[in-house]
Amino acid sequence: MSEPSNSSPVPGHVGRTAGRTQVRRASRRGPVSGASRRGAVSEASRRGAVSGASRRGPVSGASRRGAVSEGFWRGPVRLAAATLLAVATIGGCTDSDPAERGATARADARPAAAVTGPLCSALPSGTDPGNPASLTDEPGDVALRWIPVLTRFEAAVRAADLSAELRDPNGVTILAPTDDAFAKKFSEDNLDDLMIKQKNELRTLLRAHLVAGSYSLADLVAKGRVTTLDGTSVTITRADPMARIGDHTETVCADYQVAGGRIHLLNGVLGNLPTTADANGDPAH
Amino acid sequence: MRTRRPTVVVLSTLLAATLGTVTAPSTALGQPASAVQTAVAEPNQVSGLTVTQADGYATLAWTPIDGATDYQIERAPVDAGNVATGPAVIVGVWRPNRQINNEAPTFADAGFSPGDRFSWRVRARFDTTAQPYSTPVAGTTLAPWGNPDVPGESLRTQWETTKAAQYTSDVEEYAYTAEVDRLSERVRVVEIGRTVLNRPINMLVIGYPTPPPTAQAVAATSPLAINCNVHGNEPGDREACLVLARKLAFGKDAKTVDLLSHTTVLIVPTINGDGRAANTRGNSTGQDLNRDYSLIRQPETAAYVRMLRDYRPVAGYDGHEYGNSTAGDLPMLPPRHQNVAKQIFDESMDMIEGHMYVQGAKDGWWACPYGCQGGSGVGLSEETILRNTLGLKNTVNSLLELRSSGGQTRPDEGNSANNRRRKTYSAFWTFSQFLDYHRANLPAITQARSEAIEFQASNTGRLVFRGSRPIPLHPAPHPGEAGPRDDLPEPEMILDNAPCAYKLTEEQYNGARTDGPGEVGATVAERIAAHGWKVVKAADGYYVPLAQPERGLIPLLLDAQGAEEWVDGQRIYPTGTGRHNGPLSVSGFTCISGGTVNGPVTVRPGAVLIATGTTISGPVSAAGATGVFLADSTVRGPVQISGTTDAVSLVDNRISGPVALSANNTGSDVPLLAGNAVSGPLSCALNSPAPTNLGVPNQVNGPKAGQCAAL
Repeated sequence: MSEPSNSSPVPGHVGRTAGRTQVRRASRRGPVSGASRRGAVSEASRRGAVSGASRRGPVSGASRRGAVSEGFWRGPVRLAAATLLAVATIGGCTDSDPAERGATARADARPAAAVTGPLCSALPSGTDPGNPASLTDEPGDVALRWIPVLTRFEAAVRAADLSAELRDPNGVTILAPTDDAFAKKFSEDNLDDLMIKQKNELRTLLRAHLVAGSYSLADLVAKGRVTTLDGTSVTITRADPMARIGDHTETVCADYQVAGGRIHLLNGVLGNLPTTADANGDPAH
Repeated sequence: MRTRRPTVVVLSTLLAATLGTVTAPSTALGQPASAVQTAVAEPNQVSGLTVTQADGYATLAWTPIDGATDYQIERAPVDAGNVATGPAVIVGVWRPNRQINNEAPTFADAGFSPGDRFSWRVRARFDTTAQPYSTPVAGTTLAPWGNPDVPGESLRTQWETTKAAQYTSDVEEYAYTAEVDRLSERVRVVEIGRTVLNRPINMLVIGYPTPPPTAQAVAATSPLAINCNVHGNEPGDREACLVLARKLAFGKDAKTVDLLSHTTVLIVPTINGDGRAANTRGNSTGQDLNRDYSLIRQPETAAYVRMLRDYRPVAGYDGHEYGNSTAGDLPMLPPRHQNVAKQIFDESMDMIEGHMYVQGAKDGWWACPYGCQGGSGVGLSEETILRNTLGLKNTVNSLLELRSSGGQTRPDEGNSANNRRRKTYSAFWTFSQFLDYHRANLPAITQARSEAIEFQASNTGRLVFRGSRPIPLHPAPHPGEAGPRDDLPEPEMILDNAPCAYKLTEEQYNGARTDGPGEVGATVAERIAAHGWKVVKAADGYYVPLAQPERGLIPLLLDAQGAEEWVDGQRIYPTGTGRHNGPLSVSGFTCISGGTVNGPVTVRPGAVLIATGTTISGPVSAAGATGVFLADSTVRGPVQISGTTDAVSLVDNRISGPVALSANNTGSDVPLLAGNAVSGPLSCALNSPAPTNLGVPNQVNGPKAGQCAAL
């Protein structure tokens, strides 16, 4: 059986395809540096990445919130611009499309509040990519991509098509359960089902973690009660130095300041869905 | 069966005796050990600590303390003057079940950002009472592999540039692998298929100085394959694969060049690109792809299986992550399904226990059996799982799990960058060791594969639809206190009397199916072709003989007794088993099992002959037959097969007389001529396609000519 026809052994052979522009852009914004960028484009085209990106309906349709969205590339772009090992800062980037940044981009120039909580020390800090100061100008949905323990929540936002609600011009507070919290709440099968097939339920679940307006942890505690976007009223009480959200959930790293909002990380999942996780329910390899 | 395990234990003990002195003077970093040793040691203070840097991890080794229950390993970030720049943390606990030799404890510390500088200390505990810490040893960890100033070597993944805050995205992967391809003569990136959402599924084909030009040429190098990411939400192995690909593509060290000069490395970074992008376990339809490798209902698994058919890796690893917090760091498991040839199971066990356990004890990584310590419901016999599918395709292989959670021996770090790096570099270690194992044991691997193919083609022994071989506990001290569940077959999962073939109706074979994405599935005919099975079409249906290399897999998909079968094919039992005196003329469908034909056999045009374990005293000639299958048999006379229309297979026969295959035009089916002992010339001419031996050479006492010259 011969190799697929697009596996030309001739390096540098350029196959021109319809979606080339998109990958050219992706490559430009990727970590591939300097003179080699053009090559990456050509090669990516040849390998079919381009046509893949452009032809696949669901992905391109979802691209503004999906894996290949422009916003997704914003971080790595800067890294490509800087030298690989000496990234002084990843905040303060100004090269991205203003339209993508939304109305919140011109928001406050307040200095970034320090994040607080027991989990914060495990998250990017100092000058590391994704450090809190670097996220202050990012919309909420983009900032989520830089907080490593929020991969479930971040992917769920994309799956539920809720990025716009995380960019509400009037501000939004994001109560984001960690990956561990998701694992304690849902079986893998259940979560896959929500992500892939039960998108209305997923959307409601996520809205149970969003509050209109941008509130610091101290603000939330002072309010004592908030109504989440799914319409549920949730009590908030002080649990030094953190806050308890509802009856069973606490913040574990709070006060990420993002464009027009705040992100507080939770150790539990809010909302009304039943718990399906099973401690011995590892679905296995 | 080869039993290398006891030997290995002895070797590892010898190694243990010398490990400290071997590593200490030349490679230990940080403070001079001699200065440490002259200080007055406190009672029960650990001594002899050495730290050896490797890719993404540091191996700590120390002199054990009599009576110690366990050891705690502490790490603190330090500056160039070894002044602490951050808090010290306990990064792990060494326990006796961690490694097969306790005389020389080792611990692989990982998770730190490679290139940073640290100081390590180790202390023993008696029960829970901590003893004094060792004198610290400081060292600068190795920066990510590749000189930043050398083109190619300087490439970095998104995961690396973001310091593991982000995983490498789909398009970033394509750009990275394309750059590796463009800048390295050793690499060719091929697209083996597309996902449901039409993402390319790429494979890196890596060889030295260049990879062989075709799949068939790659297959001739006994390649090995790493499947990096089948569950989209388990991305740790995939990042290791991308870094490993860079090292293989650009590494100038003698070991890398030697490896790639002898084989071809196949790396599939992302078989489940849609699931990875969405961070779901399944693909975009929600199907768990690691429950589909036999059924190949999905385009992703079908692509992988076609790749296996064409590139024929002799060994494989399949990367995963798991959440069990009580077992080891790197659970592994061989293909246990009882239809897997024992030679493949044994060699896979040797790879895990004979190589991974031994090297793990040396480098500080804790390999253990998957399913140990509370994992009783995992690691079983589903043939839908790649581990078992590969075994049923006569490929030595193992599952790899990366422990994603904390627990008694690791801190609970959540999905932090530290935890991500520990997982990924533990996978990097495993895959690197997998390459070393392949390089050192290729004769044993190919022998196991040859014997397995011959065993399967002989169609002997019972069939098991579901049920595993037990995983015996490694002799104490062993890497897991409790082994995986035995998972022996239930009676209803056993068929003692294996049929000769399955017969499928036209509807079963070519009928439309609804079990794929969007309720559209490939036909059974297309799936059989993807697996590479031989089929012969007769007047009354399609016959799939069991006398072929994937005999263990065929019934699982075609028999009504199967747990997850495609169709309920009709079992066809042998038509002859006893003694036949005089010439035998075969017309229609004839299957002989364990028979004796005292005379010549002539296969008529359009007829099918299947013979296993049979002795034929006389020539065998077939002209214009539909199919000829001869396995594990003795022919006292010449064998001449010409003009066959569907399939030809001669495996593990003893033939006294010339063998000639000519003008067989079998379409997409490749005539198989493997493992035969021929007393006389072997000649093949004008066959289309040309015969293959699947890497199982024939012993020919005479000239080999034409298309069979190299078989």
